[in-house]
Amino acid sequence: MNAIYGLFSDSDSARNALSVLRTSSSELHIKTESIRVISSEPLEEEITGKEKRSLMPWIAVVGGILGGTAGYALAAFTQRTYPLPTGGMPIVALWPTGIVIYELTMMGAILATIVTFLITVGLPRYTRRIYDPEVSHGKILVALIDTDQELRAKLRQKLLEAGAEQVKEIA
Amino acid sequence: MAHRWGMVIDLDRCTGCEACVVACHAENNIATVKPQQAAKGRAMHWIHVERYWEGEYPNMHVRFQPVLCQQCDAAPCEPVCPTYASYHNEEGLNAQVYNRCIGTRYCANACPYTVRFFNWFNPVWDKPLHLQFNPDVSVREVGVMEKCTFCNQRITAAEIHARAESRELKDGEVNPACVQSCPAGAMVFGDLNDPKSQVSRLARLERGTKLLAELGTSPKITYLERESSHGDE
Amino acid sequence: METNRAAQNMADPEAERIREDLLRPLFHTSWRFYTGVGVLVAIGLAGMAAFAYQVYSGMGVAGITRPVFWGFYITNFVFWIGISHAGTLISAILRLVNAGWRRPVTRCAEAITVFALAIGGQFPIIHLGRPWLFFWLIPYPSERHIWPNFRSPLLWDFLAISTYITGSLTFLLLPIIPDWATVRDRSTGLRKRIYTFLALGWQGTPREWHRLELAMRIMSVVIIPVAVSVHTIVSWDFAMALVPMWHSTMFGPYFVAGAIFSGIAALIIAMALLRKFLHLEQYLKPIHFDNLGKLLLLMSLLWLYFIFAERLTVWYGNETSEMATFWSIQRGKFAGLFWTMVFCNFLIPFPILAIKKLRTITGTVIASSTVVVGMWLERFLIVVPPLERKYLPYDWGSYRPTWVEITVMIGTAAGMVLLYVLFAKFVPIISIWEFKGPQSKVSVPAGSFAAPAQSGTGLQPTYQSPLPRGDVGI
Repeated sequence: MNAIYGLFSDSDSARNALSVLRTSSSELHIKTESIRVISSEPLEEEITGKEKRSLMPWIAVVGGILGGTAGYALAAFTQRTYPLPTGGMPIVALWPTGIVIYELTMMGAILATIVTFLITVGLPRYTRRIYDPEVSHGKILVALIDTDQELRAKLRQKLLEAGAEQVKEIA
Repeated sequence: MAHRWGMVIDLDRCTGCEACVVACHAENNIATVKPQQAAKGRAMHWIHVERYWEGEYPNMHVRFQPVLCQQCDAAPCEPVCPTYASYHNEEGLNAQVYNRCIGTRYCANACPYTVRFFNWFNPVWDKPLHLQFNPDVSVREVGVMEKCTFCNQRITAAEIHARAESRELKDGEVNPACVQSCPAGAMVFGDLNDPKSQVSRLARLERGTKLLAELGTSPKITYLERESSHGDE
Repeated sequence: METNRAAQNMADPEAERIREDLLRPLFHTSWRFYTGVGVLVAIGLAGMAAFAYQVYSGMGVAGITRPVFWGFYITNFVFWIGISHAGTLISAILRLVNAGWRRPVTRCAEAITVFALAIGGQFPIIHLGRPWLFFWLIPYPSERHIWPNFRSPLLWDFLAISTYITGSLTFLLLPIIPDWATVRDRSTGLRKRIYTFLALGWQGTPREWHRLELAMRIMSVVIIPVAVSVHTIVSWDFAMALVPMWHSTMFGPYFVAGAIFSGIAALIIAMALLRKFLHLEQYLKPIHFDNLGKLLLLMSLLWLYFIFAERLTVWYGNETSEMATFWSIQRGKFAGLFWTMVFCNFLIPFPILAIKKLRTITGTVIASSTVVVGMWLERFLIVVPPLERKYLPYDWGSYRPTWVEITVMIGTAAGMVLLYVLFAKFVPIISIWEFKGPQSKVSVPAGSFAAPAQSGTGLQPTYQSPLPRGDVGI
């Protein structure tokens, strides 16, 4: 994968660069999907564009429901296969089973959230990707991937005009 | 119909001689503990005679009664055990399964009668007492709870015997060690499901009370209060 | 995300200085760190040796006896699980109500939660008569065809604490990933390889940030009911048993309030120590201690309310068995501990925290220290005195801890501190990406941090490891 990217020192110049890239997308054959933004802190939506709505909260609810069902199944099934009466209580007692259901509901919601998070961001992923250590010094990286060689010079110029401190290329 | 084992202890007959305590130790392979351990409260008397002094000198009198596991029908010690080491068996006994016990000691806290005992160390018998084990009863290791089982080994042996002879158990045929050894005949053991058994008849007497009845544990041991008033003794 | 009129300038010298300050403990280690860790490891090993001795010789080497079958170990269990409620309150509730001042404090608090749970979770194993069989509490299909008893409060404990530690670890670790990426970028050699692995390949794309913040919002909502349920269930270890002064319906809320109380106190102490040893004066500022001090004051009043309500109800009911325990606590054998507890939990903290002039960093730390002691005493007074006086007076007894229990207790406390110190060494204790630089985020209340003094160099930051500024590491 090849890329050309600029490092910007603040969000205004990064926003500027992104709008420049978007307006000249036809001229420079830039597809929106080939623009990447990387930062060391969350950027505002007006810069990066609205993120697609995630189903994560709903998946967490589903995870909770599954967890609760698993809790009931665990308590009911295990106590019925080897029924040992205690203290005059029924074998599957209402109130204690409620506690088991509750805890496993929350566990299901938590695990669903973790798994959904990791899957939707595609982590862990250790393959070579676009990055520059300057990002962790606060620079915002705006990159274009898979661009034609001939357009590189023009893109470099546009990025520098928009306010990039440095422009680098990969491959 | 399944048996439901119960006991009646007549406090009018009990002399407090503690033969039942000794017999229980012998029958159930219960170890004795050193004096310092006993002073800390670690003696293991599954049945023990509790004694209370009442009144001021010279008008004092003593109340005593043997206290053992009450084999409650709604035992508070049973639901709290995380490994089912304490559960209610089909004959109404509160069974203690030593192999399942991991020693959380929750059951001992939950028991209002404090009749559960914990093996603080591996039990030790000074020679030659190590030769007098009852082969029908296991020896418990450190970290395990134990308590009165109504001599379940004797009950089981009698039931097997009766089944081999294709007959029912007779009333009075099986007695725990404490009942057997009581010289005053203060303790009676039998099947509460048999209305004609001696224990059922005695349990219905007006003198009958249950220990800590107000807690709702439904104990199966009925104490027959003393007929004599507090005046004497 | 809050809107911000000013541009986000994450690369200015101020922001870079903040990053250097917060990362310095990771890159610079002094002899004080090694000495401290050495001492803590030694104490922890002593605790482990005491436990090993107990397993070898039998539980009898501890002071517990009939009828006091639970003693120091369960006291410490409840105490540490209580301390673990620090993180939840700060991180989750303050996150949900958008209290900006929580930002430097969240990770310190969440770390306390995770490690307090790890330490507290040891005690159910330590106090077992046969601890090598603790795994029978885990529901798994065993060859004996038997499962654990879900009607037992100890199983509810197991499920609740497992859920809570899973949630807390998630709450702690998810926001650390971007900071580990920052550390990765500034490391070399083995350290770089380790942090590259830990950073999971984090880049910092808008999607990653969005999902991370969404996950944290969901976790904030989920973790609060979990935390409430955890200490309620721990309280039900006592409330479900027919022991005079245990069998109280109030134990659930009473314990949760006490847990949050002790948790905030522990957090204040931890923050004060971090501030001193990691030189975080610019980041953990008096306003944080002031705000937490106000919360501590609130919890102190709430604790007083619960103690009063419980004791009034018992005294008024005058039930014989309960009154035996009641008087032994208030006037008898435990009176010294009881009134010390009231002093430590209310009489000393209240004036310090209520008077604004006294609610300084020093003031809140003093108040928090007494609260931590007082809350430990409170747990002890809940566990032991009722067991000493149960229903049948012939079976009354007494409890005296032995060196084994005391050593284990000190060892586990050292373990807690050790885990925390190691955490501060390998993870930035203040969340770098969440802690905004001075120019951004209008939602941060004025005075939550003063604009740090200008570094005055005017130089652009260069890509190199932060220069150590003298011997200032941990």
